Amino acid sequence: MLSRAAESLYWMARYLERAENTARLINATQQLVLDLPPGASFGWDTLTRIVGLDKLFQQTYDEPDETSVVDFLMISPRNPGSIQSCIRFARENCRTMRDVLPRDLWERMNSLYLASKRYSQAGLRHKDRRQMLQELIYDRQSVAGVLATCMSHDVAYQFIGLGEHIERADMTTRILDIQSAILIPRQSGADPALALLWVGVLNSLSALQMFRRHAASAGSGDGGITAEHVLHYLISDLHFPRSVGYCLDAIETHLAELPHNIDPLRALRTARRRLDRTSDADLATDRRHDFLDDIQGDLAHMHDAIAREYFHLHQREAVLGVAV
Amino acid sequence: MRFGTDDYRPGDVYDELVDSEGQPRPAARSLCDYLATLDAGEMRLRRQAIDAAIVTMGISFTTYNDGENIDRAWPFDPIPRVMPESEWRLIDRGLRQRLTALNLFIDDLYNQQRIVKDGVFPAELLAGSRNFRKQCRGISPRLGVWANICGTDLVRDKDGTVYVLEDNLRVPSGVSYMLENRMLMKSAFPEIFSSNRILPVDGYTAALYDMLAALSPRMEDRPVIVLLTPGIFNSAYFEHSYLAQQTGAQLVQGTDLLVGTDDVVYMKTIAGLRRVDVIYRRIDDDFLDPDVFRSDSALGVPGLMRAWAKGNVAIANAPGAGVADDKVVYTYVPKIIKYYLDQDPVIPNVPSYQCNDEKEREFVLANLDKLVVKPANESGGYGLLIGPQSTQQQREECAARVRADPRSWMAQPTLTLSTAPTLAGEQIAPRHLDMRPFILQSRSLYVTTGGLTRVAMREGSLVVNSSQGGGSKDTWIVGGT
Repeated sequence: MLSRAAESLYWMARYLERAENTARLINATQQLVLDLPPGASFGWDTLTRIVGLDKLFQQTYDEPDETSVVDFLMISPRNPGSIQSCIRFARENCRTMRDVLPRDLWERMNSLYLASKRYSQAGLRHKDRRQMLQELIYDRQSVAGVLATCMSHDVAYQFIGLGEHIERADMTTRILDIQSAILIPRQSGADPALALLWVGVLNSLSALQMFRRHAASAGSGDGGITAEHVLHYLISDLHFPRSVGYCLDAIETHLAELPHNIDPLRALRTARRRLDRTSDADLATDRRHDFLDDIQGDLAHMHDAIAREYFHLHQREAVLGVAV
Repeated sequence: MRFGTDDYRPGDVYDELVDSEGQPRPAARSLCDYLATLDAGEMRLRRQAIDAAIVTMGISFTTYNDGENIDRAWPFDPIPRVMPESEWRLIDRGLRQRLTALNLFIDDLYNQQRIVKDGVFPAELLAGSRNFRKQCRGISPRLGVWANICGTDLVRDKDGTVYVLEDNLRVPSGVSYMLENRMLMKSAFPEIFSSNRILPVDGYTAALYDMLAALSPRMEDRPVIVLLTPGIFNSAYFEHSYLAQQTGAQLVQGTDLLVGTDDVVYMKTIAGLRRVDVIYRRIDDDFLDPDVFRSDSALGVPGLMRAWAKGNVAIANAPGAGVADDKVVYTYVPKIIKYYLDQDPVIPNVPSYQCNDEKEREFVLANLDKLVVKPANESGGYGLLIGPQSTQQQREECAARVRADPRSWMAQPTLTLSTAPTLAGEQIAPRHLDMRPFILQSRSLYVTTGGLTRVAMREGSLVVNSSQGGGSKDTWIVGGT
């Protein structure tokens, strides 16, 4: 497989996953904002920082409020991470790789693209927005379904899987981090309203039901929906597909099928070691934002290792007459 | 309303399906009888099925002037063009003869230049030729063949004679549409195929693979073959992708390849560098190698010419083959066939006047309103003057251009291209057409069974190129006729 082809497939998968998860992020945020306890507020500028786009946002918009931030994340053409931009890029990559992808995929991708264009025309009225984002998630899942069931698990499939799972793990940590944007006035003790916030996070990741069924803490009195339990589940669980631990396992499976995988596997092991050593202290209120940042750093290193190994042939070394 | 040819009258032209009395020609009889059984509704249904298949299969071509919409669905006419096998056999022979002679000519031009020394081909024409690449002098590619793939355009005049209109042997395209047209016909009209002996066309991609594999410099079991495309925005990208898939060649862009210090071409893969044996290139010479040709080309591979000159990689068609893809050189082809093969051409050239010659130039300038004047090197029908359809001003502008640079112009009498019944809305009406068979040459020769028939969709129009609104038909060579 050509390096360029592998890179196109990898990024197609990352863009699709990013689009879906940004939709989930926005939905999760809406939920939280509606359920904020009295006196609490939501820092929309923090949200832009969580997705690593705060500087770009500041260049493009004056005031960080709900309208501007959602506009930025959903439809802004100047944000390469906006839902619309991601879908556009994914479609372009799909187009150039049509000969290795299932035939149906192009048509689904086109539907997804046309749907995303409709959002910008329809405007962003609050109640419509939630439905649009939900439809977008469904359309994107249709694409994922075709890939999962109609494509041979060949080399192309492995690169798609790598992109999907790295992005998903990364976005899960960002969605978990939105609670750090909530500014609660100093008051003593645990606030039952906080549990509702975490229910919102679980719902946005379609994880509430699975959490209740499978999380070790689920049997305890308060329903177990505390920050620590939810964070632990979505970071370390090995069975739920959106958890970071599951994604790392999936990445390892994909890497196992590729040649020259030593360096990427080494980066993966570093990430897994951090997860294995997760302690309660890491998940405490004052520490968790940094901890999630650290995981994101590990994922970025994994991406770098993959890019170095597969996408960027070291041209200088290569030109020294190496025969294959 | 029935689609019989009773009401169909071709007029003062040669029609491929129907004779001057309105009777179907023998090879087309069965087809015409079938068409007569279809009413308007039935035809509409088949037409819709075909159009849907074109969209689903993604058969497209790309034009440059459509804003965001860059892929256009392929314009296909469901009524095929028909030719009897006996006539085709003669044309097949003529096409093989022609490409064999042209390849001997090209090899001679880049080496001994005997044909020039013997006074048969003027030296000054060579000097003025844009496609003669001095960087290719002294080189002889594997098997001595430069143009491995040639698309020769054939036209038929009023009197029924088939002529060669031109030879395309730089980067000829259209063969994938020939293959897809047949597939569309089989899916829309399967019953016709059982009642007619229509010779198959599907052997092309296997023959293409064999032709390319024979060029490999390494005696490997399976040579590494790539198809070099300019990329997704090229008008023929569909064909590049299609042929790559069908032959198992790896579709690559310039940036996927590199030439090592060992002058070997490599492909950049996830497992490292992989040596390339044969490049089927769909990029013009000018853009092939920024070290040698246009330095601003981002489409090519630096050092490619070095690798090719050393014989480390085969390139089909070879760089410099375009010297014979020239409308002025075309006028010498009968002499070229005589010189190298000591034979007369089986398929005649259209009678042509060379503006380079003073007497012929004066004749051309005196008769602009009756002739077709063509620039020696443009393709796609641009720059053409069609005398009988031109205005006084267009003729004056053409005369000025001819006087300024006579070597770059030639002229031919206006041919009345043959027609065939074509679906125009809900009617069938005659439309002019030509045909482009494809000829392959490396270790042996191969000719497509028939070729791509291109049809002008507008009434009276003689311009058949897809980039200017033309469409195409399936081409039937009917066995046993």
